Amino acid sequence: MTLMEQEDTPAMPAETTHDVPTIDAARIAEVSHAASAGDLVRRTKVFQVEDLSVAYSGKLALDRATLDIAEKSVTAFIGPSGCGKSTFIRCFNRMNDLIPGAVVTGTIDYHGRGLYDSKVDPVEVRRRVGMVFQKPNPFPKSIYDNIAFGPRVLGMKKGLDERVERSLRNAALWDEVGNRLGDNALGLSGGQQQRLCIARAIAVEPDVILMDEPCSALDPVATSHIEDLIQELKREFTIVMVTHNMQQAARVADMTAFFSVEVREDGSGRHGILVEYAPTTKIFTNPSDKRTEDYVTGRFG
Amino acid sequence: MARIEFQQSLEALEASLQEQGAVVLRALRGAIDAMQTQDVELCDEVIMFDDEIDTRYHRIEKSIEQILAQQSPVATDLRLVLAVLHSSIHLERIGDQSVTIAKLTKLTDGLETRHDLVEGLRDMGSRAEEMVRISLDAFTDRDVQKARGLVDLDELIDRTNRRVADHVLELAQSPAQQEWGMRMIVVSRCIERVGDNAVDIGEQVEFLVTGEFHEFTDASH
Repeated sequence: MTLMEQEDTPAMPAETTHDVPTIDAARIAEVSHAASAGDLVRRTKVFQVEDLSVAYSGKLALDRATLDIAEKSVTAFIGPSGCGKSTFIRCFNRMNDLIPGAVVTGTIDYHGRGLYDSKVDPVEVRRRVGMVFQKPNPFPKSIYDNIAFGPRVLGMKKGLDERVERSLRNAALWDEVGNRLGDNALGLSGGQQQRLCIARAIAVEPDVILMDEPCSALDPVATSHIEDLIQELKREFTIVMVTHNMQQAARVADMTAFFSVEVREDGSGRHGILVEYAPTTKIFTNPSDKRTEDYVTGRFG
Repeated sequence: MARIEFQQSLEALEASLQEQGAVVLRALRGAIDAMQTQDVELCDEVIMFDDEIDTRYHRIEKSIEQILAQQSPVATDLRLVLAVLHSSIHLERIGDQSVTIAKLTKLTDGLETRHDLVEGLRDMGSRAEEMVRISLDAFTDRDVQKARGLVDLDELIDRTNRRVADHVLELAQSPAQQEWGMRMIVVSRCIERVGDNAVDIGEQVEFLVTGEFHEFTDASH
């Protein structure tokens, strides 16, 4: 009889049980840098977007996007050119109102209130929802006046010097320009100009900062400054960004939305769609949709 | 299909894992044969052969380091790279178990053996070998079911391993075989560990396919 055939010999003693120290999951979550998916679900929603479509002069650009944005988180929109991600981000502060022929349908609730309701003042929206653009666009004025411009226009004139300093500090620029506030802002480097634009955006105490490819015109060092800054800013602000740089989304975003281009079957053109919206770790380790997988792994196109 | 060079490097990486697997299987077969026939020369060959296995493991590790540094793999690609790295370590461990079997066999050179125990260990070895083969096939085929099937096969080996000790105790009646028997307890344990390593590779297959890592059995296996 071989060993393999024997059936009725006594088994080994059953596994011994050890006292396993209990792990306090809450404490681990506390020290974890990135917001966990569950945490984001529980957080207050700043935006609730449902079936949002945008058309330019009758041509559909984005078809029925639905997602929520949690407060004090970083959300990145990624996708190929023409996928509607920039169109989408412009809806969050009604920038599309400024484009002739742009029609927005569906709903965006901002703190539970319709952002496109007729009674809502778009100027007030843009104070609460600031925007930073791809190319730094400081005014051809002094560093001080660049920051002070918004608050002055909005009548926030009290304590202006402190406001300027606070904004520059929050944008991690104070140490570099604090002693030359009267210099022309156009003399700053590209990375400094972009941080100046961020300082300008936060000077009016917004709730949300939208960033449309904020680093695409910057070198890697300036880019990492902005990325560090984004991590700091999300303690106070909700950040939504469009980026062409997938690794940037992977590095800084808590949630990532992947948009893609859909060609209409009737041959009438193409439009953007939201394919997948999930915690960034999921998008970059185990996306649910094949199209997301193909895009993030670089098999797309 | 974009990133052609990257895709080629991933294919080459997976091919080197399979090659490492083939080399490890040769070492394991050699160790089991040497144990069965008490072939000291073959034992030495198995022991020397371990350098080859280690070299292959280090080569795989190096390629992975380069891929991570230069290509920033994500999603399936990232999982493939991680699964190859882990599986390669498990294969390297199987190589180490084969060396231990060979060394123990050398230590028992000239000692009296017991036929039924030798046969039992050989059967156990063949099953372990088969498990390694299945784990590598499951990796290539991305076959989670096949990988999960390894648990049942491992259970058979585990059970046999537990019985070896009882059989060796019986050798108390024949002192001439006792030392040999004691060494064979460790050989049995080595083979049992090979089965565990095959299950570990199976777990990597599931991770590769689903993105979720689960131990197939609890930590006591």
